Amino acid sequence: MIRVFAAALILVSGACVAIGQDDPAPEQSAFSTRYSLAVIDDATFYGGLSSPLPKVLNQVLVEPTFSLKYRDRWSFSGSLVGAETTFNDTVAHARVKEIYTAFSAGDFDFMAGRKMLRWGTGYAFTSAGVLDPPREPTDPGDRLNLNEGRDMVKADWMRGQHALTFAWSTGELARKGMTVPDTAAIRYNLLLRGFDTSLIAGNDSGSDAFGAITFTRVVGQAWELHGEGTWREKGAILLGAKYTTTAGITFIGEFYTPPNIPYYRSITVSPSAGRQHYGFLNAGKTRLRELPGWKEWDVSGSVVTNFDDRSYVIVGDVNRWFGNHLSSYVHLEIPRGHRGSEYSRAPYTTATSVGIRFHL
Amino acid sequence: MSNVNSTLRIFLLATLLAFLLLFALRGHAASAPALDATALLKRSDAFRNGWTSFVTRVKITNYESGKPDEEKLYEVSQKGTDKTYVEFMTPREKGRHLLMLGDDMWVFLPDTSRPVRITPLERLSGDASNGDVARTNYASDYTPAYLRDEKLGETECHVLELTAKRKGATYQRIIYWLNAQDARPVRAEFYLTSGKHIKSATFDDYAQIGGKTLLRRLTLYDEIRHNSHSRLEYSATTPRELPDKLFYQGRADRF
Repeated sequence: MIRVFAAALILVSGACVAIGQDDPAPEQSAFSTRYSLAVIDDATFYGGLSSPLPKVLNQVLVEPTFSLKYRDRWSFSGSLVGAETTFNDTVAHARVKEIYTAFSAGDFDFMAGRKMLRWGTGYAFTSAGVLDPPREPTDPGDRLNLNEGRDMVKADWMRGQHALTFAWSTGELARKGMTVPDTAAIRYNLLLRGFDTSLIAGNDSGSDAFGAITFTRVVGQAWELHGEGTWREKGAILLGAKYTTTAGITFIGEFYTPPNIPYYRSITVSPSAGRQHYGFLNAGKTRLRELPGWKEWDVSGSVVTNFDDRSYVIVGDVNRWFGNHLSSYVHLEIPRGHRGSEYSRAPYTTATSVGIRFHL
Repeated sequence: MSNVNSTLRIFLLATLLAFLLLFALRGHAASAPALDATALLKRSDAFRNGWTSFVTRVKITNYESGKPDEEKLYEVSQKGTDKTYVEFMTPREKGRHLLMLGDDMWVFLPDTSRPVRITPLERLSGDASNGDVARTNYASDYTPAYLRDEKLGETECHVLELTAKRKGATYQRIIYWLNAQDARPVRAEFYLTSGKHIKSATFDDYAQIGGKTLLRRLTLYDEIRHNSHSRLEYSATTPRELPDKLFYQGRADRF
């Protein structure tokens, strides 16, 4: 009788254990990886050419990116570009956009290699992004992903809302044809009451020291404000704002005034021209989901202008997704201005880029 | 005379009993609104945030006219009630990251020149918004008030009204149905500042993970475009010690 009772008890408790079992939380793997591959075919058609140039520039780009991370301590990342460009001739080349290793210990991060930093808060312009890739106001999104990092060693200390970064970048390893100075820079960043503020100071080899302050702040439900003030021989100011409507349309506006010194001067601006004043206005919407059948479409339009010579460029972008791996786009640039003005110096009256991207 | 006295005594006793019964009933009725809405909301949050520091994967399937038309995958790292870091995993969004620190939100786009600060209105874009993925601790964002008890199908529910503590919250008002037995979320209605009913949600499925009952599937219904809904499926939820610096907005090394 006891044996039967004991057997029943074992069966019942076994059943209870079976019922009580649950899915264990998955174990964390020591190594984690990320990769992506983009293949882009971009054709740019030039209209109204003022010099004897081919009417079409075709570029095929292959862009693999990978990262390997060991726990939260060590990582190795790389991003390459292989490109074949057909214009006057067909030229193939490969570039290293980024390749770096990083080590993390306590409140410190250390990094060595080629890396893109983004210290500037401007969307179309920056004066404070001393180690950033250059901004192209007619293509701030870097449509073809051709931006490259700077070769550097960097150390970060982060605690709470404070962060301190020291970076030293060398121009010795830059590819041929690029003039990159050696730069030492330090940045203190603080997030306080919604103000994301940074103080930047440093020195370029063979040039004066520089200092900068940047901020971003969200105000209310719809506004974001950002700005930069930089001192490098003379002051440069950037003020910008972003506004989002309830329909999801986003407007970005920026005003930028750099001094006319070699560091800031565009190759199309005369050294005697004095301080320059620029404006940027963009209106765009990603995913036109309110319109039936237009959910996969993104549209945006911009105007970039030089207020001093009254030249400007009108930019239009349309992007369309086909599933998760394929997208196509049209990018249009129309520069206008009187002879000799900054944006009229482009040797064409329209440039229309049509492209297709494959993503993996 | 004695008959009159005994009748009077019985009447008085009956009146006293009636008064006592009335007070008892009123006392019971009064105890229901005394339900601790804040404690209830905190209990309900535990079904969506199993640990104080954890990682989970969220698969979002968007449906148009009942048919699935796109899928997105995210890895969400969450620490405490106000730090969330989201890595976008689908090919069309690879390299994108989202960081939320309290009311502040940034998106890191691989092809833009800087981390982009997101306004509360931008947080609402999309079928399942950034806020739906990144912000699941309602007790820290909303002040709850008990509204009523209500039966949803076969489930007895407490209904709470959540009002945003700050303008930076994803929604300004939520009507929240919680299972009366264990406070697990059952249904929600989301409203904008204008009072517009923008979305509804049903909390469809729960699973036992690491000894905790956690949300496994949630469906969001677009109340403006009624033919559209999104299904959010949570998987691989695991407790993990996440370093504070993962949530530093200026960190360039995002993976």
